[in-house]
Amino acid sequence: MNAVGFAWRSLVRQPARAALGVLGVAAVGALLFDMLMLSNGLVLSMRDLLDRYGWDIRVAGGDLPLQGPRIRNASKTADTIAGLPSVRAALLLRIADARIDRPSGPPLTTQLVGVEVRSAPGRATRTSPPWTIVKGRDVNNAGEVVINTPLSSASHVAPGSTLTLRALCVAEREALPPTTLRVTGVAEFPFSGVDEYVVGGTLATLKTACGGNVEDEVDLLLVTSNGDADGAAAAIRAAGLGVNAMTNDEVVGRFQQAGFSYFRQISSVLTAVTVSFAVLLITVLLTVSVNQRLGEIAALRALGFSRSRVVKDVLSESVLIVGTGGLLSLPLGWLLAAGLDDILKAMPGVPAELHFFVLEREALAIHVSLLVLTALLAAAYPMRIVSRLPIAATLRDEVIG
Amino acid sequence: MIVDAQNVSRLFKMPAGPVVAVRDVTLQIREGDHIAIRGPSGCGKSTLLHMLGCVDAPTSGSLLFAGQDVSRLSDAKRSSLRLKQIGFVFQRFFLLPMLTARENVELPLSEAGVGKTERRTRVTELLDYVGLAARADHRPSQLSGGEMQRVAIARALANKPQLLLADEPTGELDVATGEQIAMLLDRVNADGTALVIVTHDQALAGRARRLLMMRDGAIEHEATA
Repeated sequence: MNAVGFAWRSLVRQPARAALGVLGVAAVGALLFDMLMLSNGLVLSMRDLLDRYGWDIRVAGGDLPLQGPRIRNASKTADTIAGLPSVRAALLLRIADARIDRPSGPPLTTQLVGVEVRSAPGRATRTSPPWTIVKGRDVNNAGEVVINTPLSSASHVAPGSTLTLRALCVAEREALPPTTLRVTGVAEFPFSGVDEYVVGGTLATLKTACGGNVEDEVDLLLVTSNGDADGAAAAIRAAGLGVNAMTNDEVVGRFQQAGFSYFRQISSVLTAVTVSFAVLLITVLLTVSVNQRLGEIAALRALGFSRSRVVKDVLSESVLIVGTGGLLSLPLGWLLAAGLDDILKAMPGVPAELHFFVLEREALAIHVSLLVLTALLAAAYPMRIVSRLPIAATLRDEVIG
Repeated sequence: MIVDAQNVSRLFKMPAGPVVAVRDVTLQIREGDHIAIRGPSGCGKSTLLHMLGCVDAPTSGSLLFAGQDVSRLSDAKRSSLRLKQIGFVFQRFFLLPMLTARENVELPLSEAGVGKTERRTRVTELLDYVGLAARADHRPSQLSGGEMQRVAIARALANKPQLLLADEPTGELDVATGEQIAMLLDRVNADGTALVIVTHDQALAGRARRLLMMRDGAIEHEATA
């Protein structure tokens, strides 16, 4: 019987102890797995959202997209950018607050997003608006809009029907006449929150809804490069337009500086804590088990079992407990992450499509490595006990005991 | 000559001062010997047995096992020596409770690297030899004390040792069962294995051809049958 088989039989011999160890590792491992998914999850998810529609550069009036002043002279700026050789197209994006009247119940507060693509004459442009149609079709003309799923549910509006909306474009309390818009589809807006209502259409539709009472300003320009995002961003900055051009990598980097790094730090601390708990738990279980079997181990040594063999038995036990618990920790961690993700995404202002916990190969590799380290560390002390066990003294003590 | 011990002593350092457990013992064990060691509790019988079995080393004197100086052997070599040439039988059996009788007997064979087919044949022979062929698949908890000691003897004989050491082999058994174990040990010895028994049991000791009486760590006298 080899060391693994022997270790398995030792575990089966004390099923309660084995179950306790495996469940403990599964619970701690699930937390560890979640911490590892959390440590880089936001960054990966944000990167995915930014890259989703092919726009690889964000141009804003402030340091971060949608967090500073609007871009003035937006049309001219967009045309200048679109005319740069390294740029394929630019998309003007303006956001206005709006209220949607309902036959019954209070009006719904929503965001109205207006977009318009600019590209240099003769330059092929196959660009997507920053939303994904899930039902119906995209907008083709002014006066047509798509709405997100929460709004479709709350307002009972489906593709083909109309929507009456009052935009708040200039002053917060300004009363504008209602505009009736035709809903052509239901779309997912990746940066909208779980309970946020969003309407998307052309920039012309937004301007109409605002009664034409808007400056030539946009909140953001999305730019798609010809493949060299860094070069295109540098060209935009060099154009002296008074705007801040950032590649998606740079946006992610700034978000990391602005707050995402806290998640990484927190997850690093919690990872260290969870690994410590796992090590302590398994060390205690194995040490108790070894101490209960000192007589047997001494007898095996007297019968000729080598020191390395009894050490391997203990290590195999640790590996079996941690390995089984570690395997269980993956589905458990996945379920836990899904629940925590839903809770965190319910926070105001968090995009529904943003995920805090993202599974990546690196996280899985670190998870496995940390569990292997846990098995080794946890077995270190009990292995030391059996490797230094004085055979004769132990046999004598067992008889006296 | 299996064991040649010359003036071996074993000293333990205790908080209250050093204790000499075995003092200047000279002893030879030859093939086929049947030796019993008797003496009052604490006289050093078990310590001497442990040194003869290479699980403990003398603090002075020399101990040769099959011509090899045990004190010069590494731990791994001593383990290998015990595995292949020495068998141990303990008062408390020390069978592994999660293994069947068959698996317990198979352990030393497996550790010695004996092939599966040969192991199975040998285990069957051994369990038959100790009269437990029918109980091969029983766990220790399903066996009586005498049966457990029989399994322990079979395990000790697994690798055909030259020397079998038994520390109070009947200490936990009733008189009748102890008698059966004594008869089994006689048979083991008659079949060619040298036997050294540490015991308080006068009847068991009386079956040996050499009787060593110990007192205060030393062999007080030796009687030969």
